Amino acid sequence: MAATGQTAGPRAFVLEADPLEPIALIEGRYDDRSLTRLLTRFVLERRGFGWWALFLPALGALGLFLAAVAVTVFIGVGTWGNNIPVAWAFGITNFVWWIGIGHAGTLISAILLLLQQRWRTSINRFAEAMTLFAVICAGLFPLLHLGRPWFFYWLFPYPSTMRVWPQFRSALVWDVFAVGTYFTVSLLFWYMGLIPDLATLRDAATSRRKRILYGIFALGWRNSLRHWKHWRVAYLLLGGLATPLVVSVHTVVSFDFATTLVPGWHSTVFPPYFVAGAIFSGLALVMTLIVPARWLMGNKTVVTLKHLENMNKMILATSWMVAYGYITEHFIGWYTANRYEHSTYQDRLTGAYASVFWALMLCNVLVPQVFWSKWARTSVPVMWLVSVLINVGMWSERFIIIVQSLHHDYMPSQWYLFRPTWVDLSLLFGSMGLFATLFLLFLRYVPAVPISEVKELNSETAAEGQLGAGQPEPSGL
Amino acid sequence: MATYVLAEFESGARMLAAARRVRDLRVGDLDGYSPYPIEGADEALGIARSKVPALVLVSGLTGALLGYLMLYWCNAVDYPINVGGRPLHSYPAFIPITFELGVLFASTASFVGLLAFCGLPRPHHPVFDVAKFRSASVDRFWLSVRTDDVGARSKIESVLADEKALDVAVLEDEA
Repeated sequence: MAATGQTAGPRAFVLEADPLEPIALIEGRYDDRSLTRLLTRFVLERRGFGWWALFLPALGALGLFLAAVAVTVFIGVGTWGNNIPVAWAFGITNFVWWIGIGHAGTLISAILLLLQQRWRTSINRFAEAMTLFAVICAGLFPLLHLGRPWFFYWLFPYPSTMRVWPQFRSALVWDVFAVGTYFTVSLLFWYMGLIPDLATLRDAATSRRKRILYGIFALGWRNSLRHWKHWRVAYLLLGGLATPLVVSVHTVVSFDFATTLVPGWHSTVFPPYFVAGAIFSGLALVMTLIVPARWLMGNKTVVTLKHLENMNKMILATSWMVAYGYITEHFIGWYTANRYEHSTYQDRLTGAYASVFWALMLCNVLVPQVFWSKWARTSVPVMWLVSVLINVGMWSERFIIIVQSLHHDYMPSQWYLFRPTWVDLSLLFGSMGLFATLFLLFLRYVPAVPISEVKELNSETAAEGQLGAGQPEPSGL
Repeated sequence: MATYVLAEFESGARMLAAARRVRDLRVGDLDGYSPYPIEGADEALGIARSKVPALVLVSGLTGALLGYLMLYWCNAVDYPINVGGRPLHSYPAFIPITFELGVLFASTASFVGLLAFCGLPRPHHPVFDVAKFRSASVDRFWLSVRTDDVGARSKIESVLADEKALDVAVLEDEA
């Protein structure tokens, strides 16, 4: 991007005409060397005990997860609380919740890249890593739910001795392709952005072991401008490809429900409603993670309050999209004049799971409204608390959609309550341990804020003469 | 045997200014190195348009086409099952996987294409023999000229000195 001040018109006029960037995205004055040091510090230098204080509990929760997985695999899914009619229960609730969380990562890294939102730069790596780990957690649940997870490869079209092929008219098989593609593309996008930064780590590392290790993963990147040219184009293209992909993934997930005849599921509002909910919950989790991480890593000058405030505005906006989804869902349920739909939505408001329903309304619709106030948007404790409540609310929403709809379908004689067992609860909380373990390892071994992109942003703002930028280039690059 | 002349610069603008002058000497292959992409590099170094987009387009279309053919062949030809009397070739139901496979092929092509066009992974390159070259990923801007013409070296070095290069190194490339 060229410096806008030099391309057209008097400088002051152009700067005033850009109301989207009124505040510097990097606080303080940095040159390239001090930025590199700031952003590689947590990976290359000695860390305090804060990291360990978070990592050990995460490992504990991971242990719980592995124990619950072992019970599920060796004894069977009968150890879960699932029954008929509630055959999906926690397993699919957790799957939908986790996969939705991943979506905000792609939104921040890909969609905001295409929209040229510069504030994404400081948080995109972080959000992409969250996507990857959330998709890993999500993928494990349907796998375990198979009952015989070692036969998972039956889902893929391969020439088997049984001479059968998958039934591609089933939405469940679409899921396999959607989630598989989503994971692959997210991984490639993340790694491509990472290559130049791994080269920076290789070059900034002081120990031989680190230099060799980061050198291997940097693939021999030497910062050639010929390579940067290809890199920029390829990165932008991946962003462009990930954007329709992210919309398609939760759409396909929602088809698992919408293509059935279960009252409460059989609705055309599901795809957009699921995608909005996915982005909403993912933004909330980014917030939940980034608040402690920026404290832990000491990079508050690069991940500023301005970034957090922008995120809060997006949370507020997506909260209204989700609210609109709830209203439409209930209105259409009533408008169908179908007594089974009426009964399901009536039960949702007043039945056995009504407390969960009202909790989700509180967390997803009411609580985010505090972000109308600038004070709440810029208060770190408030935004963290709100983000945690939204995570709870979104999990409850998935639970209500799945369990409440299933437990109350056409035949009253089939109605049956679902109660989670300790294995269900251990898998849910344990998967958070798996996520936290992966995430903390990421923070420790990989630069969580993109180094080259922040330096590029810093040099651009320097050229534009904005507040807080480093020394301008002598000949006005 | 080729020779690399490497020069370190304080800023991208100086490096590109030197690149323009060295390029006019027409003595060898130029490359620039910087911690992040910089404006004006394409013109100064004579970098051509990237071929990654063409590769991505072709791969994406190939993936979608192969995906659709696979779906059709599996469900309508090799293993036809009657599901509620619906047509065996139910094309609306084939759209999601066709789309996903198109995106999968295109994305993989963009990654593989990037590496292929850059000649990576390449763990060692002559420029890494200069210890100070590590600053290229931190805060310095480097220019390299690969030349077979031994007599051109002094001309290049005088231009580099004239453009205020911080440091100049000369390497012999054995390869």
